[in-house]
Amino acid sequence: MVAVQVLSPAADRCYHRAGQAGSEIGVGYAPAHHGELLQGIFADAAGQPRRALVTLPQPGRGTRATFYPSYSHSGVLGPPEQTLVRRAAMLALRYFSTFPGAAKGGRVEISSNVPTGIGMGSSTSDVTATIRAVADFHGVTLPADEVARLAVLAECASDSIMIDDRVVLFGHRDGTVLETLGHRLPPMFVISCDTEPGARVDTLRLRPADYDDAELAGFGVLRAALRRAVALGDAALLGRVATASARINERYLPKPHLDRLLRACLRHGGCGVQVAHSGTVAGLLFDALAPDAEQRLRRCAAELEFDASRIGIAITGLIGVSASLAGHPAADPHEVEVLVR
Amino acid sequence: MSIQTAFEEATETYQVPRLIRLAPNLYGACFTLMKMIPARFILRRAEAQGLLPPHTVIVETTSGTFGLALAMQGVHMNRRVVLVSDPVIDERLYRRLTDLGAVVDRVPAAAGAVPGGYQAARLRRLAEVRTEHESTFCPEQYSNPDNPRSYATVAELFLECLGQIDCVVGPVGSGGSMCGTVGNLRTVLPECRAIGVDTHGSVLFGHADGHRELRGLGMSLMPANLDHRVFDQVHWCSASAAYAATRQLHRRHALFMGPSGGAAYLAARWSAAANPNALTVVMLPDEGYRYQDTVYDDNWLRGAGHLDQPLASEPVRVSDPTRPSGSWTCFDWGRRSYAEVMAGVAGVAGAAGAAGAREAR
Ligand SMILES: Cc1ncc(COP(=O)(O)O)c(C=O)c1O
Repeated sequence: MVAVQVLSPAADRCYHRAGQAGSEIGVGYAPAHHGELLQGIFADAAGQPRRALVTLPQPGRGTRATFYPSYSHSGVLGPPEQTLVRRAAMLALRYFSTFPGAAKGGRVEISSNVPTGIGMGSSTSDVTATIRAVADFHGVTLPADEVARLAVLAECASDSIMIDDRVVLFGHRDGTVLETLGHRLPPMFVISCDTEPGARVDTLRLRPADYDDAELAGFGVLRAALRRAVALGDAALLGRVATASARINERYLPKPHLDRLLRACLRHGGCGVQVAHSGTVAGLLFDALAPDAEQRLRRCAAELEFDASRIGIAITGLIGVSASLAGHPAADPHEVEVLVR
Repeated sequence: MSIQTAFEEATETYQVPRLIRLAPNLYGACFTLMKMIPARFILRRAEAQGLLPPHTVIVETTSGTFGLALAMQGVHMNRRVVLVSDPVIDERLYRRLTDLGAVVDRVPAAAGAVPGGYQAARLRRLAEVRTEHESTFCPEQYSNPDNPRSYATVAELFLECLGQIDCVVGPVGSGGSMCGTVGNLRTVLPECRAIGVDTHGSVLFGHADGHRELRGLGMSLMPANLDHRVFDQVHWCSASAAYAATRQLHRRHALFMGPSGGAAYLAARWSAAANPNALTVVMLPDEGYRYQDTVYDDNWLRGAGHLDQPLASEPVRVSDPTRPSGSWTCFDWGRRSYAEVMAGVAGVAGAAGAAGAREAR
């Protein structure tokens, strides 16, 4: 089903690294995310409605993939439960099949600290790292839109973590960028919560939301507000957009205690909440440039921690987005040592 | 990257209001012809849905700017337009409508004397017109949900240009513009306030139906598109007060707008000054050209008695929205339904106006 769409790379679309082609193995890294700031249906450049989302990246978690080539066997070996990783590797191998020294098949090793099934994008992280590892083996750094295209082919729907140099409204079912909203998100701190610890959402089984007319009209309004929030670095407005999007999602994949989380966030001067539209995580957003931001964040986290076990949620961590948090340095992409699988 | 592009058709240029700063926390949304937004949206959507085959006649009851917008869009879409209007229709507007190819069908003057006035007579005539043509399409601005829906783009513009808006003020006729704009804004900003501006003798917010000089806002019949629960506060503004405010808008800000916008500006200026931290936007639905011989003519204003009283600096707060008193009044509607508000004043002596309005509904 996918074979016809795997085009060979045009030479000018790839960045060859001189002298590295033909190395023994290939490595690739991809970060995780923390759900979405906005998800819905939006008009593309031609005015056609498309499902799309804006991802909240999560520095500090990610996947490192290592590709070990085989020149004799055309299959790909990998973690048995990870069909998508093997599929991504196959697609990437087909993509590079005309390259000099191309591998026929191989083996993929995944090392990741991204929890699965809670909406942190473990699957896209694995798939993207794999594609990058195969590319790396062939001495190539693929542009983000090519990685996105391959990831969507492997996964059917993928988030936009491979596009790491700008904020995009991303058509997650076709891998295209509907709009570049800006260079980066406003500096924010996020309290990461799992609203249903132990529960797992199977993204592949999730039915696409059938939004009603009011929700569809609302998406255009949310997009306009987010455009301003990103362009001007307005974390408060961004929090409003994320909260509205999280509320729309309540009809499709509700988060226990969303209102309670929102109240706690606002009480401590936060901007709003965001959720994984296919997962159980929720994030409380704080403007990192606001006075006492870090203190407020920690006070809010402490208060939630106190309640967490009673109401059945878990605080999974504190995240700095476009901002670093004392005691939480942004992880070095190549030092993902925590193995959770 | 984006580049500037040309417009496909004239009516497209009417889609985007100009946002202009009037005070530190007050912006005017200046429309050339606000009604183009619902007119264009409704007709284009109808065409896309196959409801407007080539020989269909577009029919509507209107004496005002909605008819002009339909006639203009009718030119682009190559459709005939029949407009049922009051016997008294502005002669210049009439000439412009007919030049656009529209047929203007006026109800007889005698119709004004019966309950419901011209508006009821126009609806009866509209029903007749529809039987005279094989295929007709009526946009039904008073009840078509596409009217409020069309204002989503206005809400988008407000959010992109101004961000967190605290209050929107605008005149109310069908209710489409205020309910649609504020309803959409509240997707992102649920606490954004809405102030509706009406005029004495309009049934919209509780007055008994009566003679109204001020055009563009107020109604004799209750429109289904008016969702009362959108409004935090309602103002009633007399023609004299609206005209004076319209002229001030022109003199102070060089904004040449119509009197429904003037009435809204009066309420908005007061509200923005009273709430200096509230970012406020006022809807100014049309331009001043149609009113040059009236609102913009001092001799006419003096002759009609509009200069007899100075413009009040603040509204009189009323506790009973059914009682028309004073040239500028306001009432805290509190996002309640019409029935809820009227239940609250039912016990108040002299709620005759409310009874009249309920009948009108
Ligand atoms: C000039 C003008 N202003 C204001 C309005 C009120 O707008 P709406 O019908 O959306 O309530 C109208 C409506 O006819 C109008 O023509």
